[in-house]
This record gives sequence, C-alpha cells and structure tokens, in this order.
Amino acid sequence: MRKYLGNKTAIAIFTLPALLLYTIMVFYPIMQTFFRSMFEWDGLSAGTFIWFDNYKELLNDSVFHTAIYNGLIFAAIITVTQIGIGSILAFAVSDVSFKGRKILRISFFIPVVLSITVVCQLWLSIYNSEYGLMNKLFDMLGIQYHQDWLSSGKSAIVAIAFVNAWQYMGYHFALLLAGAKSVPEQYMEAARIDGATKLQAIVKITIPMMAETYKFCMVFAVTGGLNAFANMYIMTSGGPGTSTYTLTYLMYRSAFRVGEFGYGSAAAAVLVIECLLATLIINRLVARERISY
Amino acid sequence: MTRFKKLLNNNWPVACFMWLYALLSVYPLVWMIFYSLKNNDEIFVSNPFGFPTHLRFENYVDAWSKYNVPVYFSNSLIVAIATVIGAITLSVMFSFAAARLQWRFRGIAHTYMMIGMFIPIQVIMIPLAILVRDFHIANTYGALIIPYIAFNLSFTSIVFYGFFRSIPVDLEESACIDGASIYRTFFSIMLPIIKPALATMVIFIFLNSWNEFTMAVILITKESLKTLPLGLLFFQGQFTTNWGAMGAAMTIASLPTVLIYMLFSEQVENALTVGSAVKG
Repeated sequence: MRKYLGNKTAIAIFTLPALLLYTIMVFYPIMQTFFRSMFEWDGLSAGTFIWFDNYKELLNDSVFHTAIYNGLIFAAIITVTQIGIGSILAFAVSDVSFKGRKILRISFFIPVVLSITVVCQLWLSIYNSEYGLMNKLFDMLGIQYHQDWLSSGKSAIVAIAFVNAWQYMGYHFALLLAGAKSVPEQYMEAARIDGATKLQAIVKITIPMMAETYKFCMVFAVTGGLNAFANMYIMTSGGPGTSTYTLTYLMYRSAFRVGEFGYGSAAAAVLVIECLLATLIINRLVARERISY
Repeated sequence: MTRFKKLLNNNWPVACFMWLYALLSVYPLVWMIFYSLKNNDEIFVSNPFGFPTHLRFENYVDAWSKYNVPVYFSNSLIVAIATVIGAITLSVMFSFAAARLQWRFRGIAHTYMMIGMFIPIQVIMIPLAILVRDFHIANTYGALIIPYIAFNLSFTSIVFYGFFRSIPVDLEESACIDGASIYRTFFSIMLPIIKPALATMVIFIFLNSWNEFTMAVILITKESLKTLPLGLLFFQGQFTTNWGAMGAAMTIASLPTVLIYMLFSEQVENALTVGSAVKG
C-alpha cells in the first residue's frame, strides 16, 4: 500500500504542473514586488538599486496621503454598511416564518454576479448630473437638490464607496445567513423560554456565536476596501484631480501610465503591509476566545 | 386580507425595511433593462423611470451588429471556459496528490499553495505584466488564461483538498488489491466522488473569470482580445449618443451570469461563500 500511494512518477505528474505554474505566476511575482520596490526602474532596463528611497518618496507624496486616506474611508464605508445592513437582512431572512424569503434572497444577491463594469456604468448613469436617476428622483419628490455627485472631490469617494457597498451587500448577506443558520436552534429556544425577546436573543446569543463569520466578513470588507481599484478606474479615473486615488490606483498610474515601475512596486508593497496589519488587528479584536458548541 | 395582516403582524418595520432594500437592490437592474428598450427621448425626458412605452428591440440589434459585442462576448466565453478547464484539472490533480498520496513534502507543498490565497492580485500586477511581456504572450488569449488559471489554483486546490481528505482510505486499498493503477483509481473512483465539489468550483471559477476586470485592463490592450468587462468600458465614448444600445450591451453582458444564478441559485451562493469556510 505504501508503495502504491508513494508512486514517485504519479506524484510528479499530479503535482508538478500546478506547482510550476503557481510558482512562476503567483509566488515569484510576490517576491519581485518587494525586491523591485527598492529599485529606480522603468520596467525595461535593469534598474538601479536605491534601498528605501521609493518609500521615503512615498511618504512625502501628497497623492500617497490621499490614497491612504481614501482607502480607509472606502474600507470604513463598505464595512459598516455591508456588515450592518447585511446582518439585519440575514437575521430577518433566517426567520422561517418570514414571508417571501426566497424572492428577498435572490434580490439581495443578484448584484453580486454582475460584472463590475456593468455596475459602475449603471451607477454612472444614476449619478449623472443632467439625466441621472438620483437627481430625477429629487425632482420627483419636489426637492431642489441637484448634485454633481462625482465631480466634487469630497463626495466622489463616498459616492463610489456606496456603489461597491451596494454591489457586494448580497455577498455579506449570504455569508451572514449561512453563519446564522449554523447556530443551533436550541440556544434560541432556551433564550425564548427564559423570556428573552427576539432582538435580545440575536444580540446576546447569535451574534457572539457567529464571531468567526463576522471576522471573515470584516477581513474581506476591509481588505477589499483598501485594495479598491476597478470602481475608481471606471467611474472617475482617480479624479477629479487625484481626489479618488487609492493605493492600487497609485500603483497602476505610476507603473503603467508614468513608467515608474519601482515606485509602483513600493506602493504595492505598502498595500500588502496595510492589508496584513488590518487582518492582524481584526483577528486580535474579534473572537479572542473561541466559542465552541 | 388575512395574509396582509399576517405580513404586518410579522414585525412590520423589519418587513418594510427588507422589501425597501430589495427594491433598492433590484431596481437599478430593472431600470437598465427598461432603458435598453427605450430611445434617448424616453430615457432622459418623457419616461425615465417606468416601463418602456414602445419596446425598441432594435437597440439589441444595434448593440450586437454595429459594435464589437459579439467579439467581446466570445472572448469572455473562450477565456472563462479555458480557465475553468485548466484550473480545475491542475488543482484536482495537485490536491489529490497532496491529500491522498504519500510523499515527504506534501505538507509543505500544501501550505505553499495556501499562501496564494492571502495575496490580493493588485499587489503582483507589475511583475505579472512584465512576465507576460517577457514570455511573449502579451496580447494573446494566453495573457489572460494563464494568469487566471494560476490565480484560481490556490483556492480551488484547498477546497478540493478538504474533500479528498474526507474520503476513507479503504477505497484506495481495495482499488489497489483489485489491481487498478493509481491513475485508474484517480479517474474512476476519486473523481466521481468529488463531483459535487467539482460542480461548485466550475461555477465559482466561471463567474470569477467572466467578471474579472483588474488583470484584464492591465494585460489586454488589443481590441480583438477584449473581454466583456473591458469592452463595455469603452462603450461610454462610442455610445454617448445612443444610451439604449449601451443598456442593451450591458444587459447582454449580464445575461450569462444572471442566468447561471437563476438556475443554480443555491450552488452559486455556496460557491461564492465557500471561501469563508476555508479562509476564516
């Protein structure tokens, strides 16, 4: 049996293709990102090694500050709205007596399967200052409140964050619903016998027992927010000015528009560190004690 | 009336909120489908919100025949199908060996593969673009398919690994005693057992690669190779005069994924949320 399962040729045939492709296309580039972040490099020549100068330059770059700030705002908005509203929706739908659960589930989830381009174009038309649905809606309600949502620096990042929040709400809803369902019924029953209201039971029992699910949702939303790129690429191209830049956008522009590949790599490296830090902090804050059931 | 009462009794503020949110979630899509069937006058002035007064299917004909939609559509299809086949084949083989076969570095290999799950693609875009250029596959289908396969490997392998671990070892033992080769065991015994996981991951990878944007925008510049998410991006310029056709193109692009979701809604939700079980 040992010999049968230890067949060297078979092992090589089964594992090498995947390992090779993964090493070349995923693992090697990670190393390269860090390595190249210490170069002055145009992507073509060998480049010159400059230690941490790119990072120093980043710290003095006002666009970098905007990018960090936008990443945090974006992450905060999507985390709060997606997890907050997602929780309410998930707890309501997990109640078996709730009418229309199937239709609600499908309506909440459907934006998730759409292409981000479609979603962004759709919201571009909704936000459009002349013809957009948003301003038309205010007209219809008789409110004189016309906004050019995407062309003011302050509101643009918030408007974009809400598009992302809208699209991936269903994803968090589905995760939280699965989490809520995995909490055994008898706990809720016991709480009800003890005279707890439904809300109390959810806050005191279901939510603490779903700590692992919440942790995953938070990591996903926060890192997703810090990494944001496609939304701003499509909706504002980082503008107006540089007001909707994120770290990924800064990386993209430095490398693929301006040709400073080393500087772009440094931005990418900062992004990795930022995501890692966020994950560590969330792990620290949520679910310090594992609850087993 | 009783039904209505029941609906109200059933904690009506929550119920109201739920249906309002459902409306917010679906209406933009319905609006898109409506305006794909309207002309500019109706979209902007006479009837921005409601059902089209006259169904203008010619918008779909326009989107399909005058612009590049069929090219984008078939590119998306080619890339998505090739990615599904490649990623599933490689990861099923790898995770079989990592979970069932006995060799010295299998634990290390498995952990090594897992690292990829924690790396956002944005982070390696620069080296990846250089690699694609140096391998001379820039502006070919390979420029998308190969990185897509590589990027799906980690996650898919880990899901399959979990499934393979749950199969009792007696199966290989009896296969061995009956004289089946290890390859035969893999194809005729193992693969049929993990069929449910295969189906889930096929959906997962298909949806992911159909909608992938970031890598595509950086790695593909040639018009004839653009996938739908890229192609639609440049519609904005072309179509500013014809919103109806733009709506039609967006509806066409959304059709496959929405259809898949409608047909397999449970599996899709499972497929997209299966990550929480592994990553969390």
